[in-house]
Amino acid sequence: MAQFELLARCHTTRARVSRLTLAHGVTMLPTFMPVATQAAVKGLTPQQVEALGVTLILNNTYHLNLRPGIKVLSEAGGAHKFQGWNKNLLTDSGGFQLVSLSKFTTITEDGALFESPFTGEPTMLTPEESMSIQHAIGADIIMQLDDVVPSMTPDRQRVEEAMERSVRWLDRCIAHHTLSGKQDSQNLFAIVQGGLDFELRDRCLKQMVERKNSVAGFAIGGLSGGEEKDIFWRIVKQCTEKLPEDRPRYCMGIGFAEDLLVSVALGVDMADCVFPTRTARFGVALTPRGPLNLRLAKYAKDFRPIDGSCPCPTCADGTSRAMLNHTITRETVAAHAVTLHNIAFQAQIMGGARDAILAGTFPDYLQTFFVNYFGDVGYPEWCVNALRSVGVDLLEGSDIKVVTGSGAKWE
Amino acid sequence: MSTLSFTVGHASRGPFGPRTGKVTLQRAAMALTVSTPGLMVATTRGVVPHLARDQHRRTAALRWVHVPFESFVENVPPTPTIHPGPHPLHTFLAFPDQLVLLALRDPADPRDLPPNGKDHVNVWTARGVKKVSPAQWRAYVHACAPDIVVALPDIPYTPPPFSQKRTTKSIDRTTAWLAHLLAPAPEPLNILVHMAGGLSAAARCAFAESLVESLHENEAAAVRPHLSLDSGVAGYVFDLQPLHRAMDVSSDPVHAPAARADETAALFHASLAPASPAKLRVVNSVASPHEVLRLVRAVGIDVFDAKWAQDAAHVGVALDFVFPVPETAAPRRDLGHNLYRVQYAHDFAPFADTAPACPCGACAPVAPPTVISHSVLDVHAPSAVPPASYTRAYVHHLLHTHEMSAHALLVMHNLAVFDAFFAGVRAVLERGDDFSTAVDRFLAAHDETLAVVAEARTMWRDVDVARGKGRLARERSEMTPG
Repeated sequence: MAQFELLARCHTTRARVSRLTLAHGVTMLPTFMPVATQAAVKGLTPQQVEALGVTLILNNTYHLNLRPGIKVLSEAGGAHKFQGWNKNLLTDSGGFQLVSLSKFTTITEDGALFESPFTGEPTMLTPEESMSIQHAIGADIIMQLDDVVPSMTPDRQRVEEAMERSVRWLDRCIAHHTLSGKQDSQNLFAIVQGGLDFELRDRCLKQMVERKNSVAGFAIGGLSGGEEKDIFWRIVKQCTEKLPEDRPRYCMGIGFAEDLLVSVALGVDMADCVFPTRTARFGVALTPRGPLNLRLAKYAKDFRPIDGSCPCPTCADGTSRAMLNHTITRETVAAHAVTLHNIAFQAQIMGGARDAILAGTFPDYLQTFFVNYFGDVGYPEWCVNALRSVGVDLLEGSDIKVVTGSGAKWE
Repeated sequence: MSTLSFTVGHASRGPFGPRTGKVTLQRAAMALTVSTPGLMVATTRGVVPHLARDQHRRTAALRWVHVPFESFVENVPPTPTIHPGPHPLHTFLAFPDQLVLLALRDPADPRDLPPNGKDHVNVWTARGVKKVSPAQWRAYVHACAPDIVVALPDIPYTPPPFSQKRTTKSIDRTTAWLAHLLAPAPEPLNILVHMAGGLSAAARCAFAESLVESLHENEAAAVRPHLSLDSGVAGYVFDLQPLHRAMDVSSDPVHAPAARADETAALFHASLAPASPAKLRVVNSVASPHEVLRLVRAVGIDVFDAKWAQDAAHVGVALDFVFPVPETAAPRRDLGHNLYRVQYAHDFAPFADTAPACPCGACAPVAPPTVISHSVLDVHAPSAVPPASYTRAYVHHLLHTHEMSAHALLVMHNLAVFDAFFAGVRAVLERGDDFSTAVDRFLAAHDETLAVVAEARTMWRDVDVARGKGRLARERSEMTPG
């Protein structure tokens, strides 16, 4: 079973620093997990990812089950060996992609019924089957199969049904995982559901926390579906307040810098998102002063690196914005260069948070980040509200304006 | 500025026999020696396709790069020409330890262009056709400070065949534009000249003679201190792509590789006979190692681009051949593996059978020497075991899932295989073994039609169409013939 040690807590916010020890080494939390959907972080080799100081990445079960398939993964000795990644690995349950990518998916009590992409035959993904597939993949952290409904679903009854079913499926995942004898090397996380409804979330939290001794960690699911940010943070806060202190908390599908730092302040330890790697391929480099859209003509003669203080190979090598402007969306190497940078940026944000929490300066760290990142365009109101709820007032002694809506920064 | 020298080592059979040599480059504190016969790596838009900068250092075969300038003409002034610092091109493109050869055009680009003019050539850019004059080329080159530059040639990219008048024009312009580049300048350049004359041996001979003839009065003054154009050049370049295209439409087209190689060799002899035997000979756009061996054997060519091997990586082929062919080799085999093939789905072997000790970043990956630390708590725990070779099964998976890292691994590998092939060629020549017999054995042992690459290209395109939603549009137009 995973070893989870709390090392320090922020004196003001709910942020904490911890050490998660899994079968493939130590991962310091809070952390951001780059996504390697098809057993590769797009364009990079595992050695390149490791050199970025990343110790935990995510593979998608749905995709790996289709290709290369469980037989190949088993022959290879698991997904770690197959892709040459010797650090920690997390797989999702496959349920989310089933709903988002597959046609004709029907959820029954038994499992998710979908059309097999191989044969077109109706195929059932049950909680037990999801566990078996994830056992074959062999990731250090595996996720329960949950009944996913889009966060904006207006049908409360459907959200309630999905939440209750996710609890029942958690029990089946726990039972199957326990029987497998894989608990020593693989750690099952539960996923809290309940949509944007505080009452449903409370009921889900209560039932799942009762099963705490059978799970290694908890995820907050069913968010990042286009909901209002002001609701997003309130649900995250509700969950982190009720989840046990001695288990890691994983907020699924978030990747914007402000989302990460607000979530960390609310008590989240882990997050994943395709955003930093996907946006890299479209030419957007993330920096402490906001994203740079390298396709813009203004960068054609800009010989500075993306961020002179960034330790990533792209910036350390002096790769200029002008060269990236010349190659982005035309040469894969430009995507590789910006992907390396963006993953390092996410890791820097989270590493800086770890240091600040440890040093007792996390509120200052938040202030500095938000001034640098949003000072020119204004603070998103939801960030101000969320951080105020944990004792940090971004507006104190500041004349920076506040903007409504998501406030996400773009260039 | 860079100092370049070329010395011939082992040479045999007169001026066109196979030979070894060394190209030595001195640029500020950087010294580099490239053994020949050897390869230069092709670039597009200033980068080695698929190879991120942090992979450069893991690619020993990356010593010499061929940089076409034309993509930079999209901006006015071209971006590298305004880059600050003493080595603008090397810095901008991140080739500090490589020999950088600058040419105006991509020699492998087969697309038609409008006719060149008396004072300009046409180039392809992402923003359409642009014109570049000899005066602009001279200014760009001096601003970029490459290690080697190819003087502006007048190569027609209009549909062949070409009249005698057009060939004469090509010779006159190429000569004049070379003289223009040779005009006295604060910094001397290391210049290669493209051998003009097209399909006519007589025209090639006439062009070469115009290079070596002594210049007088105004002509001499224009290129002082050189006494002839030839004395100002470091070597000779041959672009195969336009030549072969012209051969295809000639009145008596020759398609069999061996016969075509003979015809090509005869034309190159006509170009080189009057020229200086001890100067560097560079060929662009070879299609196979077979063509390399024939040109080494029959013409004594020193440097070849690796575009074909890079293109094979682009479509999913892992090269697998060595020179000389081992005694125990199978009767006749492909030059590599089309890793799209289903047979590789469960094949956990490294890419190559013939080169078990391939040093590339895919066959012999190394753990990162340094790992970025993001907080005081981060402790890097290096793995106890070195990383394993990437497998055919993994790259098969990456290719079918349209993952870009497949091509990064294959480019590193294919360059290493081609580089080792050249090391084998040099070793045979240096030992004084029977090179010609070794060449014949190689020609007989490997499929020269590259059917394996053609098959892979078809499968690459199928996956690209099926999965290439986010894929870069440029690649499609580039790799789709016609």
